[in-house]
Amino acid sequence: MSLFIASIGFGIVTASVLAIAAVGFTVQFGVTDVINLAYSSVMIASAYVAFLINQLGQGQSIWIAMVVAAGFGAVVSVVINKYLYAPFQRRGTSPTAVVIVSLGVLLIIEYTVQAVEGSANVSYTMSQGATLSFGGLILTVVQLVIIGLSLIFMVGLHLLLRYTRFGKAMRATAADRTLARNCGIRTDRVVTLACLLTGALCGVAGTVFVINTGSFGATSADLFLVMILAAVFLGGPGQPYGAMLGALVIGVATEVSAVFITADYKYVPAFVILLVVLAVRPRGLFNAGAIG
Amino acid sequence: MSVEAGAAPATVKGAALATELLSAGYAGRAVVQELSIRVAPGEVVSVVGPNGSGKSTLLKSLVGVVQVLSGKVLLDGKDITNWSPDAAARAGIGYVPQIDDVFAPLTVRENLEMGGYLLPAREVPGRITHVLDVFPQLARMLTRKAGRLSGGERKMLAMGRVLMLEPRAFILDEPTANLAPALANTLLEDHIRQLSATGASVLVVEQRARAVLAISDRTYVLTGGRCRLEGTPAELIASPDFADTFLGGTKRPMESASE
Amino acid sequence: MSQATLFYLANLLIYGSVDAIACLGLSMQFGVAGISNFGYIIFQAAGAYTAAVLALPHPTANGGFQSYIGGLGLPFPIPLLGAAVVGGLVALPFSLLVGRRLTGHVAAIGLLVTAVMANLLVTNFVPLFNGAAGLSLIPQPLQNLANPQGQAYQWGYGVAAAIVALAIYFLFRRITESPYGRSLRAMRDNSPVANALGKDLLSMRTAMLVLGGMAAGLSGGVLVGFITLWDPGAWGYAETIVLFAAVIIGGTGNHKGAILGAVLVPLGFEEATRFIPSSLGPPGMIPALQWVAIGLLIVGFLWFRPQGIIPEQRRRVFAKAQARAALTGASDATVRLQRAATALVPAEPAPKPEGSILATEGVVVSFGGLRAVDGVSISVGRGLLTGLIGPNGAGKSTFLSALAGTVPIAEGRILFSGQDVSRMPAYLRARAGLVRTFQLASEFKRLTVVENLLAAVPGQKGDTFVGALRGRRYWQQEELAAIDQAKQLMDRFGLLEYADSYAGNLSGGQRRLVEIMRAIMARPKLLLLDEPMAGINPTLARRIGKNLQELCAEGMTILLVEHELAFMDEFCDPVIVLAEGRVLAEGTMAALRGHPEVVEAYLVG
Repeated sequence: MSLFIASIGFGIVTASVLAIAAVGFTVQFGVTDVINLAYSSVMIASAYVAFLINQLGQGQSIWIAMVVAAGFGAVVSVVINKYLYAPFQRRGTSPTAVVIVSLGVLLIIEYTVQAVEGSANVSYTMSQGATLSFGGLILTVVQLVIIGLSLIFMVGLHLLLRYTRFGKAMRATAADRTLARNCGIRTDRVVTLACLLTGALCGVAGTVFVINTGSFGATSADLFLVMILAAVFLGGPGQPYGAMLGALVIGVATEVSAVFITADYKYVPAFVILLVVLAVRPRGLFNAGAIG
Repeated sequence: MSVEAGAAPATVKGAALATELLSAGYAGRAVVQELSIRVAPGEVVSVVGPNGSGKSTLLKSLVGVVQVLSGKVLLDGKDITNWSPDAAARAGIGYVPQIDDVFAPLTVRENLEMGGYLLPAREVPGRITHVLDVFPQLARMLTRKAGRLSGGERKMLAMGRVLMLEPRAFILDEPTANLAPALANTLLEDHIRQLSATGASVLVVEQRARAVLAISDRTYVLTGGRCRLEGTPAELIASPDFADTFLGGTKRPMESASE
Repeated sequence: MSQATLFYLANLLIYGSVDAIACLGLSMQFGVAGISNFGYIIFQAAGAYTAAVLALPHPTANGGFQSYIGGLGLPFPIPLLGAAVVGGLVALPFSLLVGRRLTGHVAAIGLLVTAVMANLLVTNFVPLFNGAAGLSLIPQPLQNLANPQGQAYQWGYGVAAAIVALAIYFLFRRITESPYGRSLRAMRDNSPVANALGKDLLSMRTAMLVLGGMAAGLSGGVLVGFITLWDPGAWGYAETIVLFAAVIIGGTGNHKGAILGAVLVPLGFEEATRFIPSSLGPPGMIPALQWVAIGLLIVGFLWFRPQGIIPEQRRRVFAKAQARAALTGASDATVRLQRAATALVPAEPAPKPEGSILATEGVVVSFGGLRAVDGVSISVGRGLLTGLIGPNGAGKSTFLSALAGTVPIAEGRILFSGQDVSRMPAYLRARAGLVRTFQLASEFKRLTVVENLLAAVPGQKGDTFVGALRGRRYWQQEELAAIDQAKQLMDRFGLLEYADSYAGNLSGGQRRLVEIMRAIMARPKLLLLDEPMAGINPTLARRIGKNLQELCAEGMTILLVEHELAFMDEFCDPVIVLAEGRVLAEGTMAALRGHPEVVEAYLVG
């Protein structure tokens, strides 16, 4: 029983990491209309940048490194979208072909990281902090920080989308780009800024993913992409609140099942959920295609 | 649902809208051919005609959604041919499309805010209050998502969205499509007619020829992308050609958009 | 040539053949049938594992350090055959997903994820295939006859593998160049329209998934018989991406391109990096850069040359048929006989039967509460050119869609030739003779004009999987007769010079004509035309009208929706008026004009 409750705790941590990643992914999709499978490679590349910063000189704080990683993720995401995906879309390329392009980008980024980093795994130099235990949950300080960060980002995104002019412009652009332009919204700028924002989330997600898992290599996030897709499609592509909910369900399901099945198969529930959702209701629990 | 008439919108300095020998269409093929129309400030001008006559294409070409192949679009004499939709919005044209006219996942208030995107932030609340004076029904559903509104409410929201910028010229594409006849008449009489009272010029394309004639100052009848008849409603109704033009029974040879 | 070089070349031949077989399978699925199977690698893996566990001795042999299912110790060629069969079997459940619900990029992602997960499961569930360590010491085919390390064996293996690859190439080419292959390509270009013309999409997709699966499985079996090892590292999703890259770069839709891609990408790449000193850079950098290069190639090719190096060739079906006819000097009598046998219109015994061919009773179509068609009961008389008009939003197009079966009805019945077809799926209605055209452009773009027409001919011998396998000799005669028919039609409509041009390259009006001709080729008893004159100049419209009248005189029935009411005057009798989803009146156009309600309907809108 205690193992069960502890696993819920781990589930919440996983869900927190997943939420940052999935929300970034889904908002990016809502605004750009591209299912960017290279997202996990941008995560890992950003995590690697954080590693480099972390190792600089006498060793920099991982949290500062994370900020740099966020910037890196932001820039890379904008570049990929503006100079790769958008031109293909303007040309009228089919969505399937754009997915293939994103797979190509995945290979490029992921294996560039591997070429640079080498095939051995590396890890951050940091302390996980004291282990706290309360109410059956057993979490380290760092894990609590991750949960806290995730909550801050979720709340921040919510405030941005609901209460700021830019956030509403983003939702309007995702809902109907032509109508948004008719209102005078400069949709190109909105898309670029949205990519910066979600790219930064991607960078943060990569860093906390590595913080949570320990050592990593270029291909470490490959399976995590499945979980991101599961959370995104469960909540409905383009739906940030759906992604948050999806992340919670997938994260907790994954860690709890690790208690009952074995840790090796913990990704299987996410996979099964994703397949069922795709087969039965690909639009997710909420309406697809629009943020809000 | 009933449609209450609200307050009249404030007065603006309307802009004259005109086209000169406008030809427009898709992928280089003209659907509208050599059309010259004009709308004066304070006028309601309607464009009617059977399906496929190019009415919708005409409106879309005025606001840059469809390409103008030759000829001009003039706003108060200024050439705005092929300006992008957002530039047209900034120039003072309020365009209400037939479909995709509201942001479904956004609330009524947020839709209006997006309508006022080009305004300085501090002016927006005031404009919203003003639009709500014109469409009081909207005041009761500010937090409802636009996708959940009925057909008539949606169209009112679409018009309200456009009203946020106090356009000098309104362009409406079949505003009563999918509305019940009673509602359609009220929309036309109470709201669209009112728009011209502000001083703006109003150009309406409609399927419901009779209903829109009742509120128009002048009307153009289009078939096959060309203007066949023009005049005041009284003149047109009296003309024997009017009904015939709609039912394609004119003695003139069949003319349609060439390929 | 040194021994080492000879061995090296033999290896190249084997690997190249394996890659070619795998790429050919994907070329059929993706290039010809349009199925984006991002999980393709699973089939190769299934085949490899099957061949392995069929050939391996019992798990307790060899010291029992591997655990796996099977271990039957079967001799060549059973493991290889088993590989192909299992590859095909594994494909079956996929067809349930891809065939029905999932389409396009969502299906593609689902398949990719399935491949990733299958890899994970096999890696972790050790009793299955020995987990991450994989299987080794796999017995090689005929290893008793010759030393597998020797030149003779390896060259023998290579030549055999190459022969298998060639055989598969010819088999796939036979299928692709048949009428069945044409239907596959039509499905790829525009599956809803293919469906409306009578193609059974589910069975075609299933057939292609199984066929490709068998090819992939076979390639896995051949590979594993040579390298004697197989583990999850050999089939991650990166490997599927490589196969896709190969097919895209080599040429989508062209089997020669698939072979070229196989040689260039998986083979060429591996070998090219062999010559770069591995001391260059940190360990593992070269293999990693290989992957980067493949990613760059994918993006680069999709941008600069999406059709690939050897693109799909335009098939000059018509020119070839003409040349053939000239050569064989088909006599007039034969031609006449052929024409009679495959008349454009189903032969009706004189005198023409009277009565209605279609009747609807209270048909209702509703979209979320809105009744677009609100209780329509009409009767369409045999051999008549009936018009359907009404103001915008009257429900005309929706009604046609309901008749054709592309939209379901909420209430009412549709009776066609006395049979209740209310619940019949669209492709079966087409086969029964109820064919429609579409408002929006729906020609098969990457098929030529004559191919578009031929694709619509129902019940062709060569249009089944088995028929395709039986080869040209089996279906050639029928095909030539169909081409002749198409020729008459193209002549009638003035598009003969474009017979071998891609339909996608024609002007709007011409494409519209192709669509009408195509619908006629489907030998409909009742033809539903949805605004066929949109965007067509009056002279041409009049000519089409006359052609349609001739077809009706020959026994076809036509129901035509149009806005150009002057056309109705000249060609249609009777004309039915729809307004607000209900029938308002029926009669000649002239009579309707005098009908005050009809005039009002148009003016009220």
